Order: sequence, then C-alpha cells, then structure tokens
Amino acid sequence: MTAGSQVQDDRTGSIYVAPSLSAALDALADYGPAGAPFAGGTWIMRSPIRHEPLRPHYVAIGKIPELSAIRIGKDAIEIGAAVTHAALAAALAGLPEFAVLAAAAGSSANPAVRALATIGGNLSALDFYAADCMPALLCLDAAVEIASRDASERMSLADFLKRRSTFQPGRLLTRIIVPRTERKTAHARLPLRKSGDYPVAIVSLSVNVDTASHVQAVRIAIGSVEQTPRRWGRLEAALLGAVLDPARVADIAAELAAEFTGRDSVEVPAWYRVSVLPSLVRRAAATALAN
Amino acid sequence: MVFTLSVNGDRLASTADPVTPLVDVLREEFHLTGAKPVCREGFCGACMVLVDGKPAPSCLMPVALAADCEIRTVEGLAGGGTLNPIQQALETCDAVQCGMCFPGMVVTLTHLLTTTSGATRDDIRAALTGNICRCTGYERIIDAAVLALAAT
Repeated sequence: MTAGSQVQDDRTGSIYVAPSLSAALDALADYGPAGAPFAGGTWIMRSPIRHEPLRPHYVAIGKIPELSAIRIGKDAIEIGAAVTHAALAAALAGLPEFAVLAAAAGSSANPAVRALATIGGNLSALDFYAADCMPALLCLDAAVEIASRDASERMSLADFLKRRSTFQPGRLLTRIIVPRTERKTAHARLPLRKSGDYPVAIVSLSVNVDTASHVQAVRIAIGSVEQTPRRWGRLEAALLGAVLDPARVADIAAELAAEFTGRDSVEVPAWYRVSVLPSLVRRAAATALAN
Repeated sequence: MVFTLSVNGDRLASTADPVTPLVDVLREEFHLTGAKPVCREGFCGACMVLVDGKPAPSCLMPVALAADCEIRTVEGLAGGGTLNPIQQALETCDAVQCGMCFPGMVVTLTHLLTTTSGATRDDIRAALTGNICRCTGYERIIDAAVLALAAT
C-alpha cells in the first residue's frame, strides 16, 4: 500500500459522461489515442500507484442504459459491459448453471469495490492478472461484442483476450453473451485472507455429467496463475468419460500442473500459484457436484 | 470547470481536476478530514463514504462522477451532536482504536445498520471485508455492531 503523499500524481484532463452508446462511441472516436472508456474506475483511478499516466480524456459509460442492463433470455444471458460485479452476482443468484459467474462476481475484491467495479472493466484491464470473471466466463464459453462508431463485432472471449491489446482507439466492449445450457458449475479461488485479497489462483469449472456422474462435457479455466487466464485443455481431455470424483480429479491435476508457469509477485512466489491448483480443482469439482 | 457536490446536505463547489479522487477534494477543499487516503486502492476502507446511500471508497471515485451524487461522510452521520446508534454502540463497547480506520468502519456499519435486519456476526464480518484495522480490534467492533443491530 502506498501513502497518499508518496503517490506521484499528475492528474489532468476531462471526463465526459456519455448519455448514450452512440455518444460514447463518437467521443471515443474523436479523442482517438488520447481517450479511453471509464466504467467503474477501480483500475484507472489506481494508475498513479502503477506509475502509469492518465489519459487526457475519459468517456464515462456508467449512465448508458443498455450497458448497465442484464438480460436473461431463454438461450443466453447478455450482460452490459458497465454492469457492476455486485449487480451481476445479484442477478444470477438462483441460476445454478451460472453459479461459477455469480461466485466470481460476488467474491472478488470487497463489497464496496464490487459495487463500483464493472465486468467490462474486469475484462479490459490489460495488466490486471487476477480478474475473477475472466476464467468464469471462459468456462461458460462466453462471447463479447466490440463496437466502434462504424461497426460492431462479436468474438469469443478467448479471441478477445488474445486481441485486446491490439484494438485501435475508439473501440468499446459493449456486452458479454453467455449461452445457456444444462451444466454444473463452480468457482474456486484462493486469496491469502478469507476475502478482500487478490486470489493466488482461480479454477472455474463447467461440467455436464450423466446420471452416473460420468463427464459428458467439461470446460476448466485457470486464472491468476499466469498473466492471462486460459483453459486447461489436457485436464479437460483427461476427465472426459471419467467419473467426476473430486479426489481423482485432483490427482490428475497434480500430474498435469507442470504445464503452467506461475507468475511471480510480491504476494506469493510463482511455484506456489501452480502448487495450489490440484486442491482448487478438487474443491471446484466437489462444489459443482453439490450445485 | 466547477463541480457542485452535495456533501452532508450542503452544496459545495470544487474546482479540482475532474479525475481528482473524491477523498482529496473532501479533505483538501472542504476540510472534511474524517475520510483518510491510506491505500488509494479501495482495499483498506479508511476513505469510505456513502455515495447515494451506499459505501464507496472515495479514493476510487473521481470528483467529476461524484457531482451528481449525494455524498455523506462520517462528519455527517451524527445528527445535531448526537451520535448515531452504531457510533453509540462502538463507544459502549470500547471499540475505538487509533482512529485511522475508524471513520470508514462507522460509515460501513451505519449502512449495514440502516439496510439490514438480522445480520449475523459472519454477515458483519463480510460487510467489513473492505475495512482494514491494523490495531486488531475487530471483535469489539463486531460486538458493537451486534449491539446496535439488536437495539434497532
């Protein structure tokens, strides 16, 4: 933590509160590289601590109705990019197929930050490696929409994560689309304290099992261990057709965990992030079976 | 540019840069020093204020976006010199430590008290997740919250 007087702060510039999506896209296009979207602000406002300069212009998107809405449809749910973690967790309560996302949104950071931080910001903050919603959405096979003044484009979340650092100025993540399907899901995270800390590692699990608990389909995403969350393809392949037994799943995870290269940080060493994965996978499997 | 903020029922004007954190405006322009800028990451809770009735870390809120909101700081929680129920309970339980984190604790617990009934000790702990006390005084703080909740 940094004392206020020690923060090098050269704040200057403007914040335009966009009344509509088209107004926001126009402003972002006009500002070009000098501008950026401002949603919850929980990452941008900490720029001085990271010794990163603020942009000259920000476009606040929190007042745009369609970006703050959650639509729960028959085949998919659509989440506006400016939906807060708290609002998302509340909206998904009682939908077991989205337990992984409700848990991710409802357990990140702390209550006050969850009331500010948005899912779009969570996905767009390039240097934030411990975002809870990323692996949750990866295991749910989510897609995202990116809009500019002239066009919009839909892509898988995995593609977005690969391409997000290359997008030209003027583009805005507008919504996240998550298909609905019968599945059991769970989100297991390990913070250093019970809550209020960034997680050391995250395991998000989505699984279909038959009546004998044989795995019919499975998606497992790992977050916070490496710089970008990703699916654990070899573990998924190893579990297909097998009984979803949490202890056995943890054993397989332990055999495969060496494929991850943990990131080092002041909180924990790199090896520790990898070493906790089998336990988190076991916990996720047990929780999913119980959901 | 001048921003007009509603703080503790007063209309106050700020000429700060739009991205200036609300906590800095509260302290440096309005001389409301209850909110403390400690971590500046939204994790310690020492700068917690109520924004439109909900706890928010004022280090993460730019003054430009606070202009449309009702801000209430710890200075605005006691009415007419009378402590509110959570403040009274904290005093009764000797729950006061060094004072750095305490205004934020009072803000968070006042919100809990006014929005929740039947909160358990675990609920209180969960609500205080974003308020870090370095004096290790949580048990008495939770005792006070239980006392205040029981009295309302």
